[in-house]
Amino acid sequence: MDDDEAVTRALAGDLDAYEVLVTRYSAVAHRTASLLGAADEAEDVVQEAFVKAFRHLKGFRRGSSFRPWLLRIVANETHDLTRSRGRRSDLALRLGREREPYGPEDPQSAAVDADGRSRLLEAVRALPHGEREAVVCRYFLQLSEAETAEVLGVRLGTVKSRTFRALRRLREEVGRE
Amino acid sequence: MSDDDGPEPLEARLRALGADLTAPAPPPADVARAVRARLRDDGAEDERAWRPDRRRPDRWRPDRWRRDWWRRDWWRPDRWRRDWWRRDWWRPDWWRRGRRPSPRVAAASVAVLMAVLLGATPQGRAAVVSVLRFAGVDIHVGRPGPLPTGVPSPLPGERRVTLEEARRTARFPLAVPSALGAPADVRLADGGRVVTLLWPGVRLDEFDGTLSVVWHKELGEPFPEQVDAVRGWWIRQPHGVSYVPFGGAPREERVAGPTLVWQHGLVGMRLEGPDRAEAVRIASSVR
Repeated sequence: MDDDEAVTRALAGDLDAYEVLVTRYSAVAHRTASLLGAADEAEDVVQEAFVKAFRHLKGFRRGSSFRPWLLRIVANETHDLTRSRGRRSDLALRLGREREPYGPEDPQSAAVDADGRSRLLEAVRALPHGEREAVVCRYFLQLSEAETAEVLGVRLGTVKSRTFRALRRLREEVGRE
Repeated sequence: MSDDDGPEPLEARLRALGADLTAPAPPPADVARAVRARLRDDGAEDERAWRPDRRRPDRWRPDRWRRDWWRRDWWRPDRWRRDWWRRDWWRPDWWRRGRRPSPRVAAASVAVLMAVLLGATPQGRAAVVSVLRFAGVDIHVGRPGPLPTGVPSPLPGERRVTLEEARRTARFPLAVPSALGAPADVRLADGGRVVTLLWPGVRLDEFDGTLSVVWHKELGEPFPEQVDAVRGWWIRQPHGVSYVPFGGAPREERVAGPTLVWQHGLVGMRLEGPDRAEAVRIASSVR
């Protein structure tokens, strides 16, 4: 069942069809919520977003892609949450398990690599809010510019300029030894 | 740093960093169940209006609550009689909040669900369409398998490369099973999202299996078997497989033979061709 068919059936009240969509996008929704700052409340945010998405499914523009539409709801929920907590949203995540050794790699270069990654992550954390969101969507979630604009609810030009500024800042930051 | 001299290396590093970040997420089936439970309660909309949202204490607006007290219908005895069973005084706390139950309760429910899926009568089972999402692969069980079609079409942007080039270009660390030696043929597709290694009679697809669905599989009964040795799933019947481009709908379907699907680190793998024992042996040798 593709997204469009699932949406059609969910609109007719078919919870099975909607469950297919929930299962399909659960992982990326959690990732988005965590990366945009929902921290340990990501589960709540995601559930709430899926419930809202179902209730507002009529407002979904047919023929467009379901994923960015859903992620926008997730992003809005995350905003609401961080605003109500009254503090700056943070990148609530950590570097995953160490990469398994794929092929010959000496320990020294692996350590340098790990160090570089954590410094880059710190630099992303330190970015201004809007620029960090753009980086999270464009690179961490690997969304296109158009999808990023839809998810964050800003213009395409804004995404471009924020990404550009963020990259410039990051380049200065990680370039400084 | 030697590699921040242009825009591409930094962007590539950010993508790689993103793939390394872990965000804890419950199994999709749990989320689906919780969302469903909440949607099923939708009929009791008016009830939700007066119940303060327990999960978000800061959203509870006492002013609104006072303003709207007359909209709540607790003062109407007739509603009480008709709806008493819908009010949730009898439900356990975790259910009311629509949250995940304790691990023990969750484990028990999963066990019951698996029993329903796997152990029900054949007639009952045929009616169930179940979805397994694992390592970037969507597996739909329940509909009849596909009819054999023509020649499989290549993946988008597929081209032959050397193993070295694939290692450089792939968006994930490429791994090669030592049980098979050097591949006879290497194909790189969709800008490095999928790398296919081919040996005579064996096809191994490696793909970025963490963020989105890369493959979509349609198969009839039986449900795939879990393979503990590599923590993967074995699909023993021929089935339809289609490639899902990033953010798009599945492309046309081809028929695949028995396949082992598993995840190696952050990389999704599907191995097609050998029988189960051989497939597990090959999969275990991936380094």
